[in-house]
Order: sequence, then structure tokens, then C-alpha cells
Amino acid sequence: MSERPRERGRHSLLWPGLALPGIVWLCLFFLVPFYVVLGVAFGTVDPLFLTPQPEWNPLRWDPHAFEFVWEGLASGGGFRTVFLRTFAYVAIAVAISLAIAYPVAYYVARFGGRFKGLLLAGLVAPFLISYLMRMLAWINLLQEDGWVNAVLMWVHVLDTPRTWLDGRASSVILGLVYGYVPFMILPLYAFLDRVDRSLLEAARDLGASRFHAFRLVTLPLSTPAILAGCVIIALPMFGDYYTPDLLSGSPNTSLLGNQIDLYIRGGQQVPVGAALVVCLMLLLAVFMAYYLYATARAERRLGR
Amino acid sequence: MHGRHPRQSAGFSRRDFLQRSAVGALGLTSLGPLLAACGGENGNGNGNGGGNGGSGEPELLLARPDSPVEWPLFDDNPPIESGLEPENGTLRIYNWNAYLWPRLLRQFEKEYGVKVELTTFTTADEATAKLISGAVDFDVYFPTPDRLGRLVLGKILQPLNLDYVPNLANVWPSLQDPFYDQGSRYTVPYTIYTTGIGYRADEIAEPPETFDNPYDVYFDERNRGKTFLLDDSREAIAHMLLRAGVNDVNSEDPAAIEAAKAELITLIDAVNVKLSTDDYTYIPEGRATVHQAWSGSLISAPYYLPEGLGPEVLGFWFPEDGRGSIGNDMIAIPKSAQNPVLAHHFVNYVLDEKHGYDNFVNFVGYQPPFTSIDPDRLVTEEIVPPNLESVVVRESDFDVAYFLAELSPAGANLWQNAWAEFKAGV
Repeated sequence: MSERPRERGRHSLLWPGLALPGIVWLCLFFLVPFYVVLGVAFGTVDPLFLTPQPEWNPLRWDPHAFEFVWEGLASGGGFRTVFLRTFAYVAIAVAISLAIAYPVAYYVARFGGRFKGLLLAGLVAPFLISYLMRMLAWINLLQEDGWVNAVLMWVHVLDTPRTWLDGRASSVILGLVYGYVPFMILPLYAFLDRVDRSLLEAARDLGASRFHAFRLVTLPLSTPAILAGCVIIALPMFGDYYTPDLLSGSPNTSLLGNQIDLYIRGGQQVPVGAALVVCLMLLLAVFMAYYLYATARAERRLGR
Repeated sequence: MHGRHPRQSAGFSRRDFLQRSAVGALGLTSLGPLLAACGGENGNGNGNGGGNGGSGEPELLLARPDSPVEWPLFDDNPPIESGLEPENGTLRIYNWNAYLWPRLLRQFEKEYGVKVELTTFTTADEATAKLISGAVDFDVYFPTPDRLGRLVLGKILQPLNLDYVPNLANVWPSLQDPFYDQGSRYTVPYTIYTTGIGYRADEIAEPPETFDNPYDVYFDERNRGKTFLLDDSREAIAHMLLRAGVNDVNSEDPAAIEAAKAELITLIDAVNVKLSTDDYTYIPEGRATVHQAWSGSLISAPYYLPEGLGPEVLGFWFPEDGRGSIGNDMIAIPKSAQNPVLAHHFVNYVLDEKHGYDNFVNFVGYQPPFTSIDPDRLVTEEIVPPNLESVVVRESDFDVAYFLAELSPAGANLWQNAWAEFKAGV
């Protein structure tokens, strides 16, 4: 114990040195791009070329793009519709993902036994194929004469083929769930695998049923993992715009990401797109703050 | 403002998604638009240099068929001298993907003893941003008429010396002297296309031509779920304007645009309308029964028909009197070209009757405006199936059709915001 301070002194440059790549990474790939987005959002457009003209000096920032977004939100126009829809889709998709991911992670962690490695490999396998390719595959499967309808009709769940790709919210939400659920299983698994079995044995010894032991011990213990899983999948879902493009194509399922895409990839109102990005990031920051608060509280409660 | 372009119908949307998915796969999806913003920003940050010269006195005029524009020549941006020998450097071409027959490039290489390097872009916005940035120097570029004024006044393009381009004589006389570039000072035409309504004749409830107002086919509830508009603000809104009898497809009248937007929004409930630029595959594959479509897409569509179906199941409606929306693409030479003489030779090469025709029928599918191409022979020679005769563009179409031209900045915002409202759904 007494050696520790000395050791730390000897390596005083080593530890900050190890953090350096991470800090440089964060600055280069988060802070600088984020400032660029702010500059574009508060900037103007070139009068001739109509390309965005970022304003680097915060004192000269021009909030007109934010005013435009705010008016759209306040007046109940398209932006509000899309914001609300995006929240609803993400909330439902996260809830379904949790309902799928938790039992899977629990099973693998507790009962995987010698197949644990194999099951894990199976869970990671979808990552070997790009998200896009998996979605394109779903387009084929979900077509009216595709396999999904064939199977559902064979087992008499459906009488007539369902038009899955007909601009349905359910298809987009299922697409989001399918695309992101592995990201939720892995953190849950990592956590549940480390739950101290002796705690469960103690609960059983003290008379708790299996279910009680799960509800009173495992579930509270895994709260931070559940929150982490939700955050990990909710963040990319909020920015998703190709899932609705591919699985629906209808304006009625367009998400915030689609509006950002529209304003940034074409035309001369790139600042509006950038302002939407900033608004989305601010909202997500609120969620992140809640996540940090909730995990801190959970850890405190667990006495760590 | 032109978010999409006919060439995007030749298979980029998938490629596009691939690029997007690279970001998605990293789980950094929300960074996607952010990175895109950076890209745009960089293009512009350096762009000041390019823009300085142009933002001076000459006014950005909005060219219209009834008010043609002759772009000014600038002393500091002269055309090349006549009678120069072509350089023997590498010819660098900047074009849409799959918009030039590779064999044509190989032939040119052989004939001139040079190398040709083709770089492609996926959106006109991306391409202009890169050119404006000055970070790239291409010898040949394929611009669209709706941003020509900016490229000229910003001195991104150099004036052409038509002494090197005698083959311009092969082009329809009206397009040798087009309204958007009188005297072909900066551009020559490359391909032409119309925007009509493509459909699957065997599945549609009633083809467009049977309606009193053929644009009403978009509202036919019997095609519910299988009705598509082009995912392009200009094209989709233009068809709603034409349906309402507003023939100025470049209208900046807020009331007209508002009405068109309202019509688009009613399509959501009426037929569950969807948007795509994959007209060339969705129609043959049957995903779309009715799809707003570019004429060139229907020439490629037969390749994508399921086995057992012939081109007779495809249909394309364009007003018989030619009063529909029309457009064309161009070839130009950037000011920063390293091989301007060779580039002029290449422009002339593409306008050669045989080269242009081969390029069209063997690969591109979009028609060059040559007097030597007899529209009727395209059908008799089975380049175009007889039932798709309406995809053939005639010179007379340009006299009456409505050209999607450049909008003023305020007008462009009006169109884009209406489009964004529609795309937000209800």
C-alpha cells in the first residue's frame, strides 16, 4: 500500500500519456466537428454559390436557422410531427429491444454452459454483415410474395399476404429493433455474466423463490446495464434515416434523420439541417445526463 | 436545389446507402449528417477564393426559355487559343456514375495516345462543392443547367473555344444556342430527358392516358400503396403544378407552391404515396405500379423485368403535345483544367454522331440531342420497344415543354420548405 504513491510519481507522465490518444481522438472527432456544426448552424450561405458559410466567431452568430426550426416546432408544422414521431418510434423500438434482449442475455449468461462461446459468437455474427445488407435482405423477405408472408400464411397466422413494405410504422420499428438489438444484448450479457451467484444463493437460502430472487436481486443489480443498453441503441436510432427509407419510403414514417438529410444534402439551407442536428444533440444530451445520474444513483444504492 | 438527378436513377441510391451504412455500422449514425456538414463546410471554406472574382458586378440572371441568357466573358478567364495541339497528359473527367460508356473512353485513349481518368460524383451539390473548393482540377465536367450561372460567374468554368468543337453542328439547332447558355459559350448539350409517368401496364387500374387529366393517376386509390413520386423536390412539385394547370414549373408564387404542397399531402392518405429515385427498377420489378419517371429510366427498365415478362408490360406517359417537364445535361471544361486543349477534343469526340449514339444505346440510355438520330428509327431498330415510344425525346418537345430551370434563392427556399413539410408526413 505504502508503495503506491511512489509508483505513481515514477510514472507521472505515463498515465496522462495513455489517456492522450483518447483525448486527441475526442477533440478531433467530436469537439472539432461539433464546433463546425455549430458554425454552420449559426452561419450564413455564400451569396453566389449558396454553399454554407460557417461563422466561427460566436459573437457574430446568426440564429435565424434556429428561429426557423423553432417556428416549425411551435406552430405544429412538419418539424413537430417528425420530432414526436421519432421519439415514439425510438421509445417503442427500445422497449421491444429490451424485452427481446434481456431474456436472451439472461439465458446465455446463466444457462449457456459450455455453449456460451458458441451462443455469443452467434450473437455477434450479424455484425459481420453490414447494416445496409441486412436491411436490403429484409426487403426481399418482406415482399408480398416473400418468405415472411409465406411462412406466416403456412402457419395460418395470416390469411392474405401482408404488405409489409407499404409505408408501415410497424415495419420501420421492427427494422430498428432488428438492426440494433445485438447492441443491447452484449452489454446486458457482459453484466449478467458477472452477477455474483452467491448473492442469488443467499436469497434462495433466505427463502426467496426463483422469481423473487430474480426480481429482488438480479433485476436491481442489472439496472445500470439496462440503462446502458437503452442509451447505446437509442442514440443511433435517433439519427437513423435509411431504415425508414428502405423499409417504407412513405413520408408518414420519416424520421428526424430524414429531415436533416433533406436539408444538408441538397439546396441552400444547410444551416437549417445543422440547427436540427444541434437540437437533436441537445435533446440527447438531456437523456445522457439522466443516464449518468441514474447510473450514479444505482451504484450508490448498491453500495459501491 | 435539385436534390436528385436522373443519373441517380442508374443505381446510385444503393451505393449511397452503402456509404451511409458505413457510418451506421460504426454506431455513429447521428454523426452522419454532422460529417456531411463538415464536408460541405470544407468545400465552402476554401470556396471564398473561387468566389471572390464572381461576386462582383455581373448579376446572377435566371435563364428562362422566354428570357435567354448570354453569360459574360471575363478578361481574366479567356478561352484557349485556336489551333493548339492537344496535351498528352492524363485527361481527368468528373461525371455522374455510369454516365459514359467505358469503351468510348478506351477508344479515346487509343486515338489520342493519352490516359483517361474518370472520377464520379453522386449529387450535383457534392460536385459543385468540390469544384468550388478548388481542391480538384478536372479537365471535363458534366454540370446541370440549374446551377450554370453560379459556375460561370464564379469563374469555375472556362469559356469554350468552339473552333475545336465542330461536332456541335450535329446537335439540334435549338440546343446549339440554348436559352440557358446563348451561343454555347460555356457548355455543350450532352443528353436530354423528359419527366413523365412510368407504369406497369399489366397491373395498373387505368393507365394515365385514359384520365381527362392524366396526372390524376397519382390519386387513383386503386393503385394504393404502389404509387411513387420521384424523391426530388423539383420534379414532384412540378407535376403537381402541371396537374393544377400551372404551366410555369419554375413558379415562385407562394400560393401555387402552397397548393401543390397541399395536393402532395393529400396523396399520403389517398394512395399512401411513396418516394424513390429507383424508377428504373421499381417499375419493372413490380414494387411500383405507378412511378413518376425520367424517360431514360424506362429505356433501362426492361433489363430489370422478372423472367417471363417482356417490355410490353411497361408503359410511359408523357403529354402527346409535348407539354410536360423536360431537361438536359451538359458538358463543360473547368477553368482549372490542366489539359484544356485535350478536353476540347474530348468534348468534340463525345459529340461525334457515332460516338454519341454508341454511348447512348450501349450504355447510358439517355438520348443525345443529335439531328442524325431519327426518333422513329429508335423504335424500328428496337432500341426502344414500340409501346414505350413516348420515351423518345424530339426537338419539337423543347419548343413546348416546360424546362426545370434555376430558381432564385428565395424561390429555392420556398420549394425546399414545401417539400420538407410534405416529407415530414402527417
